[in-house]
Formats: sequence, structure tokens, C-alpha cells
Amino acid sequence: MTKALPAWRVILDMVRFRFWLWLLDLAAVLVTRLLEQIAPGLIVRAFFDLITGEAQAGLNLWTIIALLVAIEAGRILANFGFVVADVPLSAHVTTLLRKNLLKHILQRPNAFVLPESPGEAISRFRTDVREIWLFSIWINDVTTGLLVIVIAVITMLRINALITLLALLPLVAVGLISSAATSRIEKYRRASRTAEGAVTGFIGEIFGAAQAVKVAAAEDGVLAQFDRLNDERRKASLLDRVFSEILESLYRNTANLSTGVILLLAGQAMQRGTFTVGDFALFVYYLGNISDMTTFFGMLAARYRQLGVSVERMARLMEGAPPGALVEFSPIYMDGRWPDVVYPAKTQADCLGRLDVTDLTCKYPGAEAGVVGVELHLERGSFTVITGRIGSGKTTLLRALLGLLPRERGEIRWNGVPVDDTATFFVPPRCAYTPQVPVLYSESIQDNILMGLPDDPARLAQAIHLAVMDQDLAEIDHGLDAMLGAKGVRISGGQRQRTAAARMFVRQPELLVFDDLSSALDVETERTLWERVLERRDVTCLAVSHRRPVLRRADQIIVLKDGQVEGCGTLDRLLVESAEMRRLWEKDLEAE
Amino acid sequence: MNVPFKQIWALLAQHIAPQRKRFALLTLLLLGNIGLQVINPQIVRAFIDASSSQAVETLAAAALAFIGIALFQQVIGTAATYVGENVAWTATNALRAELARHCLSLDMAFHDAHAPGEMIERIDGDVAQLATFFSQLVIRVLGNVLLMAGIVIALWLQDWRLGVAFAIFAATLLFVLNRMRDIAVPYQKVRRQAEADLFGFLEERLTGTEDIRSNGAVDYVLRRLVQLQVAIMKSDYRASTMDTLISVAANAVLAAGNVAAVVAGYMLYRSGSVTLGTVYLVIHYLNLLAQPIHELAHHVESFQTIGASAERLIELRRIERTVQDGPGAALSGSAISGGPLSLALDGVSFAYAEHESVLHDLSLHLRPGKVLGLLGRTGSGKTTLARLILRLYDPTAGQIALNGVEARQPALKTLRQRVALVTQDVQLFRGTLRDNLTLFDRSIPDERIRAAIEELELADWYQSLPNGLDTLLEASGQGLSAGEAQLVAFARVFLRNPGLVILDEASSRLDPATEQRIERAVDHLLRDRTAIIIAHRLGTVQRADEIMILDGGRVAEYGESEQLAADPASRFYGLLQTGLEEVLV
Repeated sequence: MTKALPAWRVILDMVRFRFWLWLLDLAAVLVTRLLEQIAPGLIVRAFFDLITGEAQAGLNLWTIIALLVAIEAGRILANFGFVVADVPLSAHVTTLLRKNLLKHILQRPNAFVLPESPGEAISRFRTDVREIWLFSIWINDVTTGLLVIVIAVITMLRINALITLLALLPLVAVGLISSAATSRIEKYRRASRTAEGAVTGFIGEIFGAAQAVKVAAAEDGVLAQFDRLNDERRKASLLDRVFSEILESLYRNTANLSTGVILLLAGQAMQRGTFTVGDFALFVYYLGNISDMTTFFGMLAARYRQLGVSVERMARLMEGAPPGALVEFSPIYMDGRWPDVVYPAKTQADCLGRLDVTDLTCKYPGAEAGVVGVELHLERGSFTVITGRIGSGKTTLLRALLGLLPRERGEIRWNGVPVDDTATFFVPPRCAYTPQVPVLYSESIQDNILMGLPDDPARLAQAIHLAVMDQDLAEIDHGLDAMLGAKGVRISGGQRQRTAAARMFVRQPELLVFDDLSSALDVETERTLWERVLERRDVTCLAVSHRRPVLRRADQIIVLKDGQVEGCGTLDRLLVESAEMRRLWEKDLEAE
Repeated sequence: MNVPFKQIWALLAQHIAPQRKRFALLTLLLLGNIGLQVINPQIVRAFIDASSSQAVETLAAAALAFIGIALFQQVIGTAATYVGENVAWTATNALRAELARHCLSLDMAFHDAHAPGEMIERIDGDVAQLATFFSQLVIRVLGNVLLMAGIVIALWLQDWRLGVAFAIFAATLLFVLNRMRDIAVPYQKVRRQAEADLFGFLEERLTGTEDIRSNGAVDYVLRRLVQLQVAIMKSDYRASTMDTLISVAANAVLAAGNVAAVVAGYMLYRSGSVTLGTVYLVIHYLNLLAQPIHELAHHVESFQTIGASAERLIELRRIERTVQDGPGAALSGSAISGGPLSLALDGVSFAYAEHESVLHDLSLHLRPGKVLGLLGRTGSGKTTLARLILRLYDPTAGQIALNGVEARQPALKTLRQRVALVTQDVQLFRGTLRDNLTLFDRSIPDERIRAAIEELELADWYQSLPNGLDTLLEASGQGLSAGEAQLVAFARVFLRNPGLVILDEASSRLDPATEQRIERAVDHLLRDRTAIIIAHRLGTVQRADEIMILDGGRVAEYGESEQLAADPASRFYGLLQTGLEEVLV
């Protein structure tokens, strides 16, 4: 289990990442706070002193008006300063974090990475990443807030120390009450979230089991349970909300309470003239602002804990990475001038001579079968087919070979040289893989095929021809430019498979690996595809299939049974020697 | 605001109507809260004006009154929040229940097209937006507008010119805000869309990480990520600038108001027209306005999103089902209390939506208590047949009759209580074993449940459970093995005592012990009941009295199993020879 970075380290690194922007944000916050929370108090005091004749020399109505205008101008400037600082800051910080997260996820084998479904992972990319950025500027809020409190309190103390201290008492009292209450708040908040989860979970269950519910005429019972869960959620939420509201309104009203205290104490002082109406106005203004601030400190510990949770959630997405990988600095090219995507050119070492696999073992809990002690050899230019019953481990074998699943034992040699990290080795230009259920993205067909490769029309056309997609593309509206996905054109399962195949072909890898094509393609199309692919003898193919035409074309067949190699050789030899091969051969009832 | 305000309100109003009393209380509390907020500054004014003349005791009394009112306001404010939230929750929960009932009743075609995740977004997510609407509209907007009105009235009572000035001021402010917000909305939409694009992109790529890696496209995908983030940043610049302009405009107007108040206060006080306390009051009220203005400027933009949610919900409510409830005929006189049903299909055909026919001209007659073994490859129409008998879909041609009663006559509930379907994948709920067995029907006593378990010979399995009927199960099936889940499915059906059982056998291999248990349970289940078994095992076929083989939705063979098994020319005979597994492929 990767140990996560401490939360403060993450924040520090993000601040360092774009230090000047963060500093600009700090400046904007400081200016805003001073102009919104300190200056008006002073001005309102000056105004009252002016009209009651207690003003200092040199102060007149025009000065006050000028100051009010100046304050407003300053605030406008600071407001736009926020835009200039925060927009790029949030963009850069979140981009770096998301890039690091995604990079790691993409570079590690799939099967063990995502702790939950993609949908849940998204919430980490969205909410947890934002939490980091928000916290890094929230610090500015807190530090400047603290400064403002200090300035305000000092100013008030210098006017009348006694009243200041006594007026601050309600604030301190409320602050203490609320920090005592934080654990209670968190408890209610958690209960409310749990109740919410129970409701959404139940909705998911009802509609996931819609058929079962209808078939069993269980609507009434199920909906009664739904009502019960909803009511519990209502109660939990009310508790949470009302409790929070009590605390929040306490904060709001401390200003009033403090004002009341001042009224109580100020009577005498005002009559004696040691406390003017102006002073009173200033006190009320400052106390109002300070009480807003006390909420911050109460929240600090809780917010920091929340941040820790977010950092940990992101670290879990990055299983296997060094702790600093989340915040690793790298250029992100937000100005749009990203360097061209580089696809490595094929070198001599990349050319396939022989692939030797010995004792490949991969077992893991899950729906698919494991494989044990598999031995496999293939030579350049050959066509190897892996076959076997459902659940015999064919897909597992391919994935273990390519590093998509971690292997327990076994050695894999490429041209005689052992391969350690199969996950990073078996990629283009050495090897490419089309899974049984390929994923295509909501982009144009061309982008789905090229995925960043330079647009070479000849190469693309050849890949499409090999994948037997030329006819289909002519019939689809907009052809290569047709957009796939929920809002785009719908293509059949077979067309998806062939598009994925084209994606593989256009990369001209040394070794082509296909998981079972037959579930998506009809016999004719599959036959044509193999004809075209195998015509070019300089490619090496490894495929899973059970179809007779494919088995006939194979240079060697590997028969798997219960995760082990039951037989290996040419079709004719296997039909004689292997009972399993015979059985599989007979079973394929598809006519030729 | 071109959002269908009326429609949003209409959705909620019917569920708020039953809470009239609470709603009245809420209104009272809100008005009280606002009233107190407006009154308290008056005390301060009186205090200031009196400070030079009155005795200290009077001033102290005023101070205590002030504190008292502040505390009272706290209580009322909290009460208002409680009542308001309660009204919102009760109403939206009622809406959730209504929508859930409605959607559950819709055809299977609907459920096949809409994933549970989407239903969560509708029934919880979109409804939650309406709750926001309620608390936003009533508590925020209305509350703030009333506050402003209260201030204007208080000032009017003081001096009609002050009242007028404030009214004009507040109106200008609101007008400016509204105009600016309308201008800002499109930019906010663009920003939201840019973010949705990013997360849509991420979700797709996270589902297909293998495809990316095995095609060497990692750098490409990372570049796309940054491109999408850049798009967000650009739209954010524009939207944020607009948002800032709104704040700036509002604040500028407020500042202008402050300047005006300062000038007027100066002149009026010097001329003796107003007291010092009044000057203080005016400035205080002016700044009291800042809060509602701020809230109206920043927190009310979400009317657009709420409108979108409301539209989706209204559309959802409009969807109708095609499989209508029957007029309520009884399922035959004698069989109403129990006993096996007969099943007859006459020329039944069926096609899903615009696709080709899945079943062609199917006819069969199954006598009460007999067992029909149904065979055929995947896609031959076996499951569809089961669904038609249960009226999950209605046939496009032909008739289905149970005990001579046409299937469309009885109420759906009656039909489905007398016909049971057991499928391969058992759907479990998060809850107790009891809830899973009774499907939350709390009227079924525990003794009946235990009796059913005993009759199915599952007593020893039941004893092995840690908490008996209270054992907690998870929805994903953790806590139960595949075999145990099947047993739960049988127990469920057994509890309801159907007259016809359709059993879609589990094809996954189970351990011998569980297989035996299941075999025995099936024996009990089928005793004195009519059954159709979609067969995957040789043993099952031996149980069947009649056999039907489907091929491409048509009847390839139909007859008594003994006769067919003895006839070397029949397909059934051929299947028995090669082993039943062939039929699976």
C-alpha cells in the first residue's frame, strides 16, 4: 500500500508550482480584506466624528467621499486581480494533478489499479483534486483573516480597552462552543451522508433488479422500504442541518450580542464623552466582521482532515507509484503549444525473431480461469492460434503474456533476451493488442484509429483495408469523420471490433495479438480479415479462436484445458493426438 | 429568466399542499425573523439619540432589550430553518416515491434503455435540485426580498422621502443584477459544458485503459487531457470575468448609495432635520442591504440548472407504459386459492421494438402440474417466452392464456403472484435475509419464512447462517455464494405459492453439494405446480414431461419427452446423444 504524502506537503508543492500566481491571489485577498473590513470602519468613524464636530483637522466631507471612491476603485482592481490569479492557478494546479493521476493509471496494468468503478474514480479526479486547489488558496483567506482580526482588535483596544475586551467575550464563548461541537457536527454529517448513500444505493438496486421486482409483484413492499429509507434520510439531514444552522446563526448573532454588550457598557462612557458615536459605529462594524472570521478557525482542523482524506483517495488511485508522483512537476503547456506526440520508431531490437514463453503462471480470484505452466514458442512470420473451451484460460494467457495481468511465475524471452517488465515492453512498435471487447471513444473514427499517429493517408487506408472496414466506411455517414459515442453514429459490434483492429494495424507492430474476434464478426468477414492479414507474411500473429477456417490457417495451435496446455502443434497432428482438439473441432457447428 | 417556473412549482406544489399547516408556520417564522432584523437597529437608534440625555439605567434597559431580541431572533431563525427544511424534505421524498412507483411500472424496454445510474440521477439528483429550488426561492430570494421591503417600510414610516429613496435604490440594484445575470448565464453554461466534456473524456479513458496502453497512446491521451483543461480555462476566464462584473456592478451601486447616504446625512444633520441616531440607522440599513444583494447576485444563478432538472423530471413523468394493467379478472374460480395452472399459447409472435421477430407463431398447451423442458441456443427465444408469459412484454400477435383466462385480463399483480420466474442471476438487495426473501413485504410472518426454508430442505444451510433471518446481505451478493443465491431465489418463489413456475437454470458449474441441494429444492418447488424449465442440464430434461426445442424463434420440435427420446429421428434424441452442452452455444 503506497503511503500517501502528508497533506501539507502536497499543498506546499502546489504553491511552489505556480508561486507567483499564488502570491497574486494572496495580494488580492489582502487588499480586498483591508478595503472591505478595515477601511470602512475607519471611514464610518471619521464620518460620525465629522458631523458631530469631533473630527480631526483637515478632514471634511470631500475627503470622506474621496476615500469611499478610492476604496471602491481598489476593490474593483482586487476583484479583477482574483480573476487574473485564480483562473490560471486553478487550471494549472488541477491540470498537473490530473495529468499525474491519469499518467500513472494508464501506465500500470489494468486489472488491479482502479479500486472502484470508473465512475467513482471520476469523483477523485473532480472533487478531490479541486479540494487541493481550494485549500491552497483558502490558506490565504485564513492568514489575511487573522491579520485583519489583529488590526481590528488593536484599533479597538486603543480606543477603549475595557469595552473591547468585554465585547469580545461573546465571540470567544461562541468560538469555544463551536470547537467543542465539531466532532458532533462531523458525526451528524456522516450519518446524513450514510442515509443518503442508503437511498441512492437502494434506487440503484431497485432499478437494477427492475425485472425481478415486477416479476415478483413486489412493488408495494419495495416502495414501502424506499419510503422508510427516505424518511430516515430526512431525519438525519434535518438533524445535521439544524445543528449546523444553530452554530451558524450563533456566529451571526455574536455580532448582535457584542453590540448589546457595548450598548450596556457604552452608556456611561458616551455620556462622559470618552466613547463617541463614531467609535460605536466602528466597533459594531469590526465586531460584525470578526465574528464571520471565527468560523474559519473552527473549520481549519476539519478542513485539513478533509484534505487529508482527499490526498489519500488520490494516492489509492496511484497504487504502486512513489509517494511524490502525485505532485511531480512537469511542463503542462497550458499555452497550447504542446510538443508533437512522439511515437518511437522501430529499431533493430524491436524486430521479432522469436518469442519464447516458459512456465507462464497467472492465477487470481475473479471470473476468468487462471493459467499454469504454459509454454509457448513462436517465430517471425508465423500464425499461432490459442484455442480451448469457455473458461480454459485463453484470454488470461494473452493478458498475462502482455503484462496486462501480473504473472506469478514464468519467463518470457524476446529474441532470446528475457523481458522483465512486460507491461511496458509489449507496446507498439513491438506489439499491439485488440481485446475481445475493445473500447472506442467519443471521437471521430479516424481519431479512434490513429490515436495521435500522424495522418498518413496511405498507411491509414491500408490498415482499414486489412481490417475489412473499407466497405463499411463507405456506407457510414461522413465515413472516417463520423463521430462515435452516445451523441454520434451507432456502429455494430462487428464494426467496432474491426475499427479496433484497424487501430492496431495502423501501428504496424511486429507482433499482432487478437483476442477472440468471432463473437463480434460473422464467419465470412472473419475469414476475409484473416486472408488479408496473413497475406502479408512479414507479420506475426497470435490469436484466440475456435473457428474452423482460422484453425486451418494456423501454423501452430495451442490447446488449453483448465488453464494448462493440453496440446500443441499443427491442426492435423492435434486432431490425431488430442481428444480435446477433436472435441472442440466437432463442437464448432458453424458451417464453413 | 425563461425557465418554466410554473412547471417547477407544479412539480413540487402537489407535494407541498398536504403540508399546508407547516407552510403557514414557516411563513410566520420567516416574517418574524425579518421583522426582528429590521426592528433591532431601531433600538440602537433610540439609544444613540437618548445617550446624551437619558439616565444610564434607561440605556441599560435598551441594551438588554436589544440582547433579548437578538436571542429571540436566533430561536426564530433556527425554527424557520427547521420547518423549511422539513417541508422541503417531506415534499421531495414524496416526489421521489411517486417517481419511483411510476418508473417501476414502466415497460422493460424503458429499463433496458436506462441504466440504474441514470435513475439515481433522476430520482435523487434531479429531485434534490428541486429541494434546492425550494430553499433558494422561499428562504433566500423571498426572504431577502421581504427583508428589503421591511427596510423600506421601516424607513417610510420614519420619513416618506427616505422610504422612496431606498425603494428606488433597491429597485435599481435588483434591476442591474438581473440584467447582468442574464448576460452571464451563457458563459456559465459554456464553462459547465467544458467541464462535462473533461469528465466525459476521463470516464471513457478510465474504462478503456488497456486499449490506450496496448496501442502506445498514453502521450496522446495526456495531451488531450491538457487540451480539455485549456478549454475549461478559457471558458473560465470569460465566465469569471462576467461573474466579477456582476459583483462589481452591485458593489458599485452600493458604494454610490453609501456616498449618497453620507452626503445626505451630513447635510440633513447639520440642518437639524434628522437626529444622529437616524443617520446611523440609514447607514446601518444600507449596509444591511449588502447581504441580500450579495446572496441574490451569487447564489441564485442555479435556476438554470434547476430548470433543466425539472424538465427532465416532467419528461420522465410523461413516459407511459404499453403493458397495461388488466381489468382485474380472477385467474379462474378454483385456482384462485392455489393449485397448478394450465398454460396455453396460441400463435404467439413477438418482436422487440424495430428489430426482427424474436418469436414466430408459437403454440403450446401445458396441462396443470406438468413440466415442460425448453431447449434452444442462446437467442432462440427462450427467455423472451418467459417474459411474455409474465407480461413483461405483450405479444405482437397471438394469445397467452392461463387456466383458460387470457393473460391480459387479470390485474398484473394477480398474474405475477400466481406465475413465478426464477432466473440465473438472482437480484439481491442490501438488507436482511428476511427482506430478501420477502422482498420487503413485512406482512409475511417469520414462521412462514422458516416453514418455507424447511420445506425446501434448506434447514441446515439456514442453521449455518450467523444471524438467521437477520443476517445482513449486500447487494453485490457478497455474503452469499452463487449457489446460495439460487437457493434464496427458490425460497422467495416458494413463499408466494405460485401455480406456474418458470425456471431459467443456472448454467455455471457449482460444487456437487450445492448442486444436490438445488436439485432437491427444485423437486420441492415443482411438486403440484406447473413448470417450464429452460434447461441447461441433462438431469432437468429427465424431469420434463414435455419437450420443446426452439430454433430462431420457431418451434423446431414439441412433444412428450418419452416419445421424443425413443425416436431416433427426433432432434431431441440427437441432443441426448451428443450431450446437452451443445445446446448452450
